[in-house]
Amino acid sequence: MKRFTVGVLLVFLLCFGFVALGNTQEAKIKAGFIYVGPIGDFGWSYAHDQARRIVDDTYPWLETVYVEAVPEGEVEGVIDRLINQEGVDVVVTTSFGFMDGTLSAAQRYPDKIFFHCSGFKRAPNMATYMADFHQVYYLNGVIAGALTKSNKLGYVGAFPIPELKRHINAFALGARRVNPNAEVLVRWLQTSWYDPAGAKEAAESLIAEGADVLAFTEDSPTVVQVAAEHGLPSFGHYSPMYKFAPDFVASGQLVHWEAIYLDFFAKVYAGLYTPKNLENVDYWWLLREGAVELGADFGMPINPVFEEQLRSTIVNDPVYGETSVYDLVFTLLKAMADPEYAFSPFTGPIRDRKGNLRVSEGVRLTMDELITMEWAAEGITGAWPGEPEK
Amino acid sequence: MRLRLQVTRRLEPSASMVFFVSALSLLLAFLVSGLLFVFLGISPLEAYRVFWQGAFGSLYALSETVKRMIPLAIIGAGLAVSFQASVWNIGAEGQMLIGAIVGTWVALFSPLPPSLLLPVMFVLGFLGGALWGTFAAWCRNRLAINEIITTLMLNYVAANLVLYLILGPWKGKTVRGFAYTDPFPQEAWLTTIGTTRVPLATFLFAFLTALFCYFLLAKTTFGFELRVVGRGEKAAHLAGIPAKRVVALVLFLSGGLAGIAGVGEVSGIHHMLRHPAHISLGYGFTAIIVAWIARANPLGVLASAFLFGALMSGQDALKVAFGIPFQVMYILNGLVLFFLIASEQLLYYRVTLRVAPWGEKEDEYDRVLD
Amino acid sequence: MSTIGFWISGVVGRTLAYSVPLLLSTLGEIYAERSGILNLGVEGLMSLGAFSAFAVAFFSGNPWLGVVVSGIVAGCASLVHAFCSVTLRTNQVVSGLALGMLGMGISGVLGRDFEGKVLATTLPVFRLPFLSALPGFEKHNVFVYASLGLAVVLWFVLFHTRWGIVIRSVGENPAACDAMGINVTLVRYACVFFGGVLAGLSGAYLSLGYRPSWSYGMTAGIGWLAIALTIFAFWNPLWGMVGAYLFGILYHLSFRFQAQVSPELLNTLPYLFPLVALSFVSRLAARRKVGPPASLGVPYQRGSS
Repeated sequence: MKRFTVGVLLVFLLCFGFVALGNTQEAKIKAGFIYVGPIGDFGWSYAHDQARRIVDDTYPWLETVYVEAVPEGEVEGVIDRLINQEGVDVVVTTSFGFMDGTLSAAQRYPDKIFFHCSGFKRAPNMATYMADFHQVYYLNGVIAGALTKSNKLGYVGAFPIPELKRHINAFALGARRVNPNAEVLVRWLQTSWYDPAGAKEAAESLIAEGADVLAFTEDSPTVVQVAAEHGLPSFGHYSPMYKFAPDFVASGQLVHWEAIYLDFFAKVYAGLYTPKNLENVDYWWLLREGAVELGADFGMPINPVFEEQLRSTIVNDPVYGETSVYDLVFTLLKAMADPEYAFSPFTGPIRDRKGNLRVSEGVRLTMDELITMEWAAEGITGAWPGEPEK
Repeated sequence: MRLRLQVTRRLEPSASMVFFVSALSLLLAFLVSGLLFVFLGISPLEAYRVFWQGAFGSLYALSETVKRMIPLAIIGAGLAVSFQASVWNIGAEGQMLIGAIVGTWVALFSPLPPSLLLPVMFVLGFLGGALWGTFAAWCRNRLAINEIITTLMLNYVAANLVLYLILGPWKGKTVRGFAYTDPFPQEAWLTTIGTTRVPLATFLFAFLTALFCYFLLAKTTFGFELRVVGRGEKAAHLAGIPAKRVVALVLFLSGGLAGIAGVGEVSGIHHMLRHPAHISLGYGFTAIIVAWIARANPLGVLASAFLFGALMSGQDALKVAFGIPFQVMYILNGLVLFFLIASEQLLYYRVTLRVAPWGEKEDEYDRVLD
Repeated sequence: MSTIGFWISGVVGRTLAYSVPLLLSTLGEIYAERSGILNLGVEGLMSLGAFSAFAVAFFSGNPWLGVVVSGIVAGCASLVHAFCSVTLRTNQVVSGLALGMLGMGISGVLGRDFEGKVLATTLPVFRLPFLSALPGFEKHNVFVYASLGLAVVLWFVLFHTRWGIVIRSVGENPAACDAMGINVTLVRYACVFFGGVLAGLSGAYLSLGYRPSWSYGMTAGIGWLAIALTIFAFWNPLWGMVGAYLFGILYHLSFRFQAQVSPELLNTLPYLFPLVALSFVSRLAARRKVGPPASLGVPYQRGSS
């Protein structure tokens, strides 16, 4: 905690120091944000744009522009235009598919700063960042495991990539912590990140197979709406989806990209980040840093509609002993938001569904292991493309 | 008294008139789009300036225009040939993806020496797209299935095939599990012109294709045959022309050219296989419009492909400058198209407003002059 | 009822619900093409319908008003295409594509402020005795049954009424119709308008019933499938219904069987099946001279031809 607080304080001191010195006029920063989807899509790009607005409003010395719905292969051309036509100093590219184009542009514009989301290639003037949900999904799993009556949880996923596999695994591990009989039924869309019709039919077929709590990764509130139509609880994804079904959205995952952007731009402004020293700057921000939040809506970790039921569900937790699920969620939330990461969902022993030991007793997966995860945890049923045999 | 629109036919317009009227209609389309910019709170004059700068204003802008023009011109030339034969190939999108798949296979998994990679990619990419197209011809010839439905449905099949490959057997080892292949080796990258992102080889190929297709249509027996087939298979049959073979060859050619465009995109721009929507970018559909606007003339396709390349590139500049919703581009394109086709009619028909007294018989005022 | 019975009824129920927009827009396209006008702008018209229905229902609180407006808006928009292809006699392919682009663009730009908005009242559940108790049938709204009935009615009108003869004749031989005193222009305008109305209604079903919300791209290519299904159906409303339901059942089943069969293959089946089905019936149809309307895509001009 100390290191983190000192860092934040330092940044703020530096910012306000500059403001006080009246340097604002000459030291203006212009940043260009590049989105892969339209900003109205209520998912990934929408969340990034919300964060862009916040940093733009927070920092008087920062001016932002954005370009939406940029195809992955076109990113270099858009970067060229942002730099030459709009004169931006910092380019933020918000999709994994922009990685190679951003890197190539970073090499061509060595005095500009690049900030790429979810990738792993960096350069002296190109940093990377990611806010990950696996802790939040674990907590969603704990809640789901307590709410289910059929012991079947449904999950609609867009693409079988490690990010989603990690999230589904965390969801399953959380559910089985409070309900060892819980199963997670998975359906993939494999078309697009935004596919409401697919999400609808996938959710309907999960419900037909007995799933009575739903979670998902797709850029629309479809699954939440379908669950509510059937009177079933669900978990929102990415944006606050409470309003789509106030009686049924139990909780969900919320992102705060602005936490990362605020920190990054403050450090750029303060001169801590320059086009020479970003080679090792990689944000992997979680609950602790406030980049993600547990909740059906901002400031609502658990929908009050479900509070009573979760309080009255008592489990015998291997670590915390006899406790209500409601309390367990907040205990775990606190442990995960701890500055020293007091608890990680991926702490051994963990076996995959084929029986292989994936995490040994007492070991905690590293970030690299998390972002390359391909195996499926125990309790997951359904197709799992790319599942390793051993 | 009442008003009547009277439409009368005109003789074949001259080339200069075509140019003049088309330019005028483009101008009109942009004037009308000015209202759209006013609605969006942008000064139309400023928007026009940014658009012009972004599409033609610099060598860089021009290169971005040409980069978009290349796939449109290559696919469009093939579609022009197929439309002349009344073969409605709307599967260029899928044929392009098949080309990209085959090219990727050569680049990543074939045991070829590096110097042979590019030529083989293009040859096999052509064949891949060509066979994908010929399958539609087979369905039409043997099973009597309309090629519109075959080619359209095969687009989805091709897209699913790409998804299967990038999520399954071809998923890259260096992409941390994301749905992409590994990047191509440098030897499989097309050389670009100077500092631009225009691949030299496909740039030249676009012009060669247009010339080739033009001569094929205008100067060869096959070109004559296919135009007869275009008038109807009955006519072809009477003339002793093997219509089925012509249909197959036409789909072979147009599918193959779309396949080449696909290889050009993966080896010139992406250097990997990725989500199908990000590879094809709707080029296969836009090329249909490109071919129609050029009235299925392969040389005209070069001009209309350039026009659409400029529209895309100028619109990129607009997006960057004003952060406008990307759907504005569809409105702009739609307006441009409407004005273009309406003006084309003005070339052939004179529309006059007549005042006709009540009770008079309609036919007298609807007589056709030619 | 047995488990298998429940399973089948669930799948059938979902199929009916999923196929509605596909069925409606296919029926509309069949009528437009039967009169000789190819309209490739269905997707854009659907999007326009979905957006206008949502916007009107959002402000008025009345979904039915949204339904009515969506039909009128998309119908009127399709008149632009009718004007180009009937009156100006332009190329129908380009004009239809242009209309589609305009529809996508206008709904996308105007719809910005409505994305992520919650609708207070959506299309109500429509209950039929007995049927609505079956699994998969509980949540259907009236569109589900009305579209089915409409397919039958439109088939009857097209093949067993004078109107139907007029429409089909105009698509086959407009010159002869003209000589007989039929107003070719009026028939074509009317059919294109009707096609537009149905495309708009299918959009309204999406944004008010199937998944009550508006977001750009929610039509997801259904308009393009409708054009393919029109050919698949040999321009016959009943076959259009068969095609739409077969596509729908395969689409839904692709999620039911994902645990057993590879998802990539399942995702491909709905698109491959029409080809497989056609390979059985097409030659038969060709022998019986069932083909596209002879004047499809050909502008009619009195005195020429």
